[in-house]
Amino acid sequence: MSARRPRPVRKPVARTPVWVAPAAVVAGLALLVAVFLVIRWYVTPLPPTPLPSNATADVVAAITTLPASEFETVGAGRANNLIKPIQGSALTGPNGRPEVFYYGAEFCPYCAAQRWPLIIALSRFGTFSGLQTTTSSSSDAFPNTPTFTFRNATYTSQYIDFRSVETTDRDRNPLQSPSAAEQQLVSQYDPGGTIPFIDVANRYAITGAMYSPDVLAGASWQTVADALKDPNSTRAKAIIGSANLMTAAICKANADQPGTVCSSSAIQSLEKNLK
Amino acid sequence: MPRLRLIAILVSLAGVAVSIYLTVVHYAGFVPACPVSGAISCEAVLSSPYAVIAGTSIPTSVAGIVWFAVSAVLWARPRRSFLLAWSMLGLLTVIYLLFVEIVLVGAICLWCTAAHALVVVLVLIAVGRK
Repeated sequence: MSARRPRPVRKPVARTPVWVAPAAVVAGLALLVAVFLVIRWYVTPLPPTPLPSNATADVVAAITTLPASEFETVGAGRANNLIKPIQGSALTGPNGRPEVFYYGAEFCPYCAAQRWPLIIALSRFGTFSGLQTTTSSSSDAFPNTPTFTFRNATYTSQYIDFRSVETTDRDRNPLQSPSAAEQQLVSQYDPGGTIPFIDVANRYAITGAMYSPDVLAGASWQTVADALKDPNSTRAKAIIGSANLMTAAICKANADQPGTVCSSSAIQSLEKNLK
Repeated sequence: MPRLRLIAILVSLAGVAVSIYLTVVHYAGFVPACPVSGAISCEAVLSSPYAVIAGTSIPTSVAGIVWFAVSAVLWARPRRSFLLAWSMLGLLTVIYLLFVEIVLVGAICLWCTAAHALVVVLVLIAVGRK
């Protein structure tokens, strides 16, 4: 009887620990996010320098003296109709006229987008002075969107009153505060706190921007003003379309006055879509 | 049923729920409950052209519903090769959507990030599974 030979012992095979593959996935994702952030930082344009007052005046004049045919051709354009009917006691301004109330902030890219059509719409009923150019925050969505600020602006009209509150500057420093009555409007008709918030005489409320701020990305104020002269441009369809919708709301809140603005076929057509 | 499988199925169902919420938000036209602070803005992401599947008006979140639902089914009767392939598809999609959010839109949507995190959890379970 021969002695049993011992069974050969298999050398243990070194296996990759279970955690290696998940850790590699997490590390790879973290690396990609870091790369994306660097790309974002690299491609974000620097904020354009605000225009001097004479150049600002030229741009404001260009966008507030658009021919009536431009408004007629664009109609609602490519604007989102965010105008919602509200029912409150009539909102009148210091001169006893129907009041348009704007509540926003300079850092906010949506406010930046919405100011363009708001200025154009209001300029059909009156005159702005003191508008200054600025851009939205560099560290928010749609950074450095070119726009204007209402912080030092005044508005005169024989038809409507306009009140504005810019709560912060583009760096989020506190700027202006609403009165108690204005805060009440915001709380009542914009409970979600979305800005911009626009109240048209307590007949209509608008929260948010009626077109994407992306439409203005990388453009200068002059470039945008030039684009508005072409009713087929994307910017004209977005901005003038939004202005027409707001004009229709203001007209409805102001008994269709003045007739030169409110009786145009484009505005009359848009008014039919407002409740 | 092994605990990891059960977790994966629950994570998949959570993903279906988040995706359904985002789809409802899209079609209802309201802004999702989401803070707006700095680069965090669901509205910026969900109102961007990338919020819908290219060339359609179908929100991206519908693809999320399909992906998470298929994932739940695959985890109910797991086959390693299918799970890995499906997970990699999900991971590549998440990488693309992160690129869109960070580079193209410049904003982060918290609800979308929640869905992305659920995909990554499922990927980690799939690749870490023996």
